[in-house]
Order: sequence, then C-alpha cells, then structure tokens
Amino acid sequence: MIFKRIIYALLYSRGDFFLSRNFRLQKVGDVKWLKNNFGFGETCNSIDELIIILVSKNPDKREISNYFDDVNNLREKIFVPITLGGGIRNSLDAKSCFENGADKILINKIAQSDLSECKKISQIFGKQALSIMVDYKKINQTNYTFLDAGEKKSISLSDYFEKIKKIEFGELILNSIDKDGTAAGFDYESISLIPKNFKNPILMMGGAGKPEHFTKVLSSKKISGAITANLFNFLGSGLMKARDYSLKKDIELNKFEGINI
Amino acid sequence: MKLKKVCIIDYEVVNIASIENAIKFLNFNYEILKKPNDLKSFSHLILPGVGSFKTGAKKLFDNHWDKAIIRFVREKGFLMGICLGMQLLFEKSYEDGETKGLGLLEGECKIFKSKNLVLPHMGFNLVKHNNSKIWNEIENPSPFYFVHSYRIANSEKKKNISTTKYGESFVSFIEKDNIFGAQFHPEKSHDVGLKLINNFLNL
Repeated sequence: MIFKRIIYALLYSRGDFFLSRNFRLQKVGDVKWLKNNFGFGETCNSIDELIIILVSKNPDKREISNYFDDVNNLREKIFVPITLGGGIRNSLDAKSCFENGADKILINKIAQSDLSECKKISQIFGKQALSIMVDYKKINQTNYTFLDAGEKKSISLSDYFEKIKKIEFGELILNSIDKDGTAAGFDYESISLIPKNFKNPILMMGGAGKPEHFTKVLSSKKISGAITANLFNFLGSGLMKARDYSLKKDIELNKFEGINI
Repeated sequence: MKLKKVCIIDYEVVNIASIENAIKFLNFNYEILKKPNDLKSFSHLILPGVGSFKTGAKKLFDNHWDKAIIRFVREKGFLMGICLGMQLLFEKSYEDGETKGLGLLEGECKIFKSKNLVLPHMGFNLVKHNNSKIWNEIENPSPFYFVHSYRIANSEKKKNISTTKYGESFVSFIEKDNIFGAQFHPEKSHDVGLKLINNFLNL
C-alpha cells in the first residue's frame, strides 16, 4: 500500500522565508540563509514533498518573478515533488508555476470563488496536479473557512466539503488557523468532520511541533499526509527524527537514504 | 561531461524542470526540444508528462512528435516515457473520453478498478521490479513517487513488467526492447529515482 507522507511547506515573500503563528508572519531568513544555516539538503532528504507558498499580498509581476527565481535556486538539487502556489487566480498563473518547476499547484480562494477557472486548470494540467488548500478556524463550535490569508470569513467547513465536489482536483489540505504555528499538535478533532464518501487524499497542516504529533495525525486512516511549516522545530535532522519516531510506531513511511550517486 | 546526448521533449503542458535538474545532476549532455527537428544526434529520448491524456496527446500530435518518436525508436534510440509520458506510449486512454496514444506498446489506460480507493494515487509506493539491466543495483522492491488516477490495463508480456499494489496490482514500469515507461516519477524519487535515470542513460 501507499506510504503516508510528511511534507515541508515554506512560506515565502520578497526574498525571505517566514514563520507563521495563527496567520501572523514573522521573517526568518532568505534563500541563502535557508541553504546555509539550516542544512536544507539534509532536511530535503527527509521529506516526501516540498510546498513553497508565496504569501505576499497582491504581488506584482516582478515579485512573482523573484519568487520563481528563488524557487529555482532552491530546488536545483532537490529531487522531490514540488507544489507551488499562493495567489493563483487563473490557468495562466497556474501555467507559470508549472513552467517554473511545479509538479502540482496549490489554489485556495478560487476553489470557492471561480469554479470555471478551477475546471480549466484541471483540464489542462490534469486534476492530480491541482491541490486545494483551505484555511479554517473554529468559531462557537463550528469550523468556518476563511479567505484572503485568514481575513475574510466564508462558508462552514462542512459546506465546503460539499462545494468542492464540483471541482476535479487531486488532494485537499486542511490548514487550521487556530493551530497554525502553535507547535501544540494538529487539529485532530476535525478529522471526524471529513465526509465518509470523500475520496481525495487529505493532508493536515498546522500545529506540528513534536515527532508524536505526526504519528498521531498519520495514524488516522482518513489522513494521507501531514505538513509542517515550522522552520525551527524540523529543519536539519528534525524531520528525520520525526520520521523515525513514526516508523517505530508502525506508521508506514518511506525510508530515505540520502543521495549517493 | 559524458558523451551520450539526451533529448527532453517539451510539449508545452509539461513540467520539465525536475527531469532537467536530474539529468544535469547526473552530468549528461542534454537538450530540450519543443519541435522534433533532427533527432539523429540523440541517443536517448525522454517523454515526461503531467496533465490529462487528451491534452497531452493533442500537443504531441499537433507538434508532429508522434512520427519523430516512432522513427527514433525504429532507429534503435532509447526512449523513456514518464507518468503521462508512459501512458502516451500505449494504444489509447479513457481519460476525458477515448483518446489515441502513440501505440508503441500494447495496452490501454483506464481508471483504477476499485471503488473504495483514495484517488489520485499520490505519494511513495513500492515497485516490485524484474531485475533487468535498467534496475541494476536498485533494491527490490523500491519506493517511487506516484501521482495518477489512471493506469495501464491489459498490457505486454509479464516478464517485461514491474508492478505496484494499490487496491490491485498494476503496471508501474514497462520495458520492451529500447522502449521504457515509468508510471512513477523517477526524477522526484530521491536517490533511487536518480539511480534508475542513471541506469537508463547508461544503456
């Protein structure tokens, strides 16, 4: 059977990488910093995939082109699948991500606001290459989805599961705003909200801080993978340790051996 | 720089950055072609691919790659199709309606049989291979990265096939003489994937 996945997400804006806590961003360092100080090579030998999200608000052309330059710089010796996204509005935006090395692209807002563009993207690039991320937050015991980097409240998460049935897509990323950057564990409670007939792979993001958090979320049958954007807890050998911990607890993960050619 | 020359086919909808990086990393001479000019100077041809079969096939045929690829293979060049590129080597696919492929290999592309599977089949899964030359020094089975919802049904002889289990056992790699097809992405499969590409380019 297929292995579960542990994925790194990098939040990028104007040449720098960021930490996020409940969607408030804090600058950490640039590409050079990421490559040098935190042993990015080692980290990338312990992940199944990499996601690099452009988190700038309304980026202009030049900013987007700088994003792609840094992505290309970073990915040179990384042989894992890469998902790019952040602010994708249409199939042209999607195309430039694929031209810059995306294996999959990540959409968020248009999954709610522009079904016809979503349809177009999956027709051109294949539904497997279209990943959807949804940001959500609990208000009075109900999970609501949020748009525009957590600023605009939208439909409930249950309604959202219904709504996206109309889109042909690959995987769904559930990103908890409440858990984001807390390092206190994933939003395990919401796993029970996933409809029984939901067939696409589901990944959880937000809250990873310790190896056992991955083990707990990946032990659910409904969850295909876990994502962390925690730059401090899991860079260097951190994720390798998390993998080993989960492997010992019988979570089926791929064992990477590092590049040796 | 090694002397063998690799051509990567760029038929627009395709992400070629990772395969390009892999070939660069392995230090082979390569070119990326958008149109099938003269393929005579190449020893190896790589047909990558993400995207839907219908769109991919149309781009391939519209740019006259079909004839060029078939001629290249007839003249004993080594061809490898990856993911959608592998599926396009076969007779046809039923993704978005029936569409013709290159017909270099026998078989057709259909959605996974089981109704209860999580689709797409996405992530690392084990490939049980047939220990042929291209698998030299690669453990059996080995994990490779997959991302697809359709797979090859009723195909070529068993001895030429490597398989993977996902609800059923399906063809994850195929070889026939100088033609190779990988349903997975060797260029996104860490060390073991690079080894496979290296073995292919050393044929």
